[in-house]
Amino acid sequence: MNPRPKAVLVPPLLLVLTLLPLLLMPLGAIFVFAGRAGLPGLIATLSQPDAQFALRFSLLIAFGTAVVNGILGTFAAYVLSKYRFRGREALNIVVNLPVAIPTVVVGTSLLLLWGPIGLLGQLLDPLGIQPMFAPAGVLLAHLFVTFPYMLGAVKPVLDELEMTYEEAAYTIGASRWQTFRHIILPALRGGMLSGLLMTFAHSLGEFGATVMVSGNLRLRTQTAPLFIFAQFEAGNIEAANAVAAVLALISFAIFMLLQWATQRRSGRVS
Amino acid sequence: MSELRHRLAEHWHHWRTVHINWRQLGRILLPMLILGGLLVYAAWPWIPGVREPAVRTVVLYGFSIIGEMMNDAVFPAFQALWEERTGEQVEFVSAFSASGTVTNQMILGVPAQVAILSLELDALRLVEAGVLPAPTWRDLPHGGVVNRTPFIILVRPGNPKAILDFGDLARRGVGVVHPDPLTSGGAQWAVLAEYHSVRMLGGTEAEAFDQLIGIWQNVVAQAASARAVRTQFESGFGDVLITYEQEVLSDRWRGRLSGEIVYPQSTIFSEHIVVVLNRNILPEDRELVDAFVTFLWSETAQRLYVDYGFRSVDEVLNAANPDFGMIPYAFTVDDLGGWEKAKPRIVDGIWRDQVLPSLGLEAAP
Repeated sequence: MNPRPKAVLVPPLLLVLTLLPLLLMPLGAIFVFAGRAGLPGLIATLSQPDAQFALRFSLLIAFGTAVVNGILGTFAAYVLSKYRFRGREALNIVVNLPVAIPTVVVGTSLLLLWGPIGLLGQLLDPLGIQPMFAPAGVLLAHLFVTFPYMLGAVKPVLDELEMTYEEAAYTIGASRWQTFRHIILPALRGGMLSGLLMTFAHSLGEFGATVMVSGNLRLRTQTAPLFIFAQFEAGNIEAANAVAAVLALISFAIFMLLQWATQRRSGRVS
Repeated sequence: MSELRHRLAEHWHHWRTVHINWRQLGRILLPMLILGGLLVYAAWPWIPGVREPAVRTVVLYGFSIIGEMMNDAVFPAFQALWEERTGEQVEFVSAFSASGTVTNQMILGVPAQVAILSLELDALRLVEAGVLPAPTWRDLPHGGVVNRTPFIILVRPGNPKAILDFGDLARRGVGVVHPDPLTSGGAQWAVLAEYHSVRMLGGTEAEAFDQLIGIWQNVVAQAASARAVRTQFESGFGDVLITYEQEVLSDRWRGRLSGEIVYPQSTIFSEHIVVVLNRNILPEDRELVDAFVTFLWSETAQRLYVDYGFRSVDEVLNAANPDFGMIPYAFTVDDLGGWEKAKPRIVDGIWRDQVLPSLGLEAAP
């Protein structure tokens, strides 16, 4: 029904061939090394309390980051897209900066701000509040590092949104909130979904800032990527790859699911 | 009555005709179920009523190569001892990394209660930064030294480059893999060994300098920690690796050693220091932490060190490990006047200020 000339297959084949050494083989290697000790070995590694903790902790932080930045990012996108004010352009650039700053630098500056000897940390320390080397510090770092992803996914949709719908809503007496709730939000669903996904996935894999602010404590603040690095340093390549394989599978599953869930919506458009 | 029946029938009819789009429902429900499941899995230990009753904790930071021994042997041994003594469960919260990194983390304020560092120099930095009021570790048994291990040379199987001692590492065409002295405690020990072994064997200062510079001309790869550098060597970099004997022995026992140990005629014993950070110890935890620190020098713990390839501070116990090689002219940092003298004179004065510049590599100030 859909005749495919052979030439159509060439570009995809070329793509797969280029991606093989760049992307596909390294991904495959994770699973090969993870499985080297066999399935029982893999299960034994993954059921260790510190591996379990690291995975759980990473997932919780990723959920938390996605929720907070989901709301904050949408709000930022809305304000930056719909309001005209002095300094808007500058703010627009600043909120996108976290992608360009090395994550290690982010971690260091958070330490110098919130750490026990940091600018704000010094004031908080006597009160018994210590955000660094605690889950709160990890969350702070992840919020910073992943902030632009939600914004980047939502703002272009808002910018493209036809003003006429909004204007029509206003003319029939809708408030700003009603307009947002009934007109803008439904249109944003796709963008928000992919923004949340990007935020979640980046948080799950974040390393550079986390290693600085978490203190890397086993069973306390060690995220899955830190666990992987610690195991690698200790020479336990299999343990490192076992957790890495789980992270890869979780990300893969979430991407697949969301693609599947959004398929119908995009299908209706076409 | 009949009117009600009629209306009920109408409702029933309405219900039957409502078409449930199962596929559409599935598209929403399935991702939510899976995400929800993931969330429940993640939050499980924190859901009230699920978690086991709170246990007492000791927070320990340590340098990289002791991690496995502490987690697998020393912690469990102390946990058993403490439970027997008091009936309480102790949980160890630990982090292992390069000695210099651990020290920096403590300066920045991580909540470490006990730390094991790979050299006294890092402990001295803690005093300088005000983390410790004074060199308090010197009041502990053996001046704070909990165990030792000599620096040895690891060569490729069959020793293809015919390396017999440190002197051979300065030969042309030998590729040396070395940890970075700026971050790794082990690397600083190695620098002392590379330099002072010549003096121990009767050489002059000029000959010692020549050997050090010769070895550094051959450094082909560097990494931040002793563990990381071994991974580089295992990935195929270089011909020789200068490392802790313990590292190599533990690999050999796990059947993963791809190389041979060459014992130098003279080399240094690295001495690992226990530091107790009083400021992070609450009064109610004092007894527990003190008991653990005392335990580190007990015969039980010292025997565990020997089992894992570290040399005990109690020379008698070392006979229990037949794999320990003989080093006729071994020395310690005390033979160089302690780290306070050895660091400025050899690591800074010779390695950093003379060797690095002559290789065209200036160290960061």
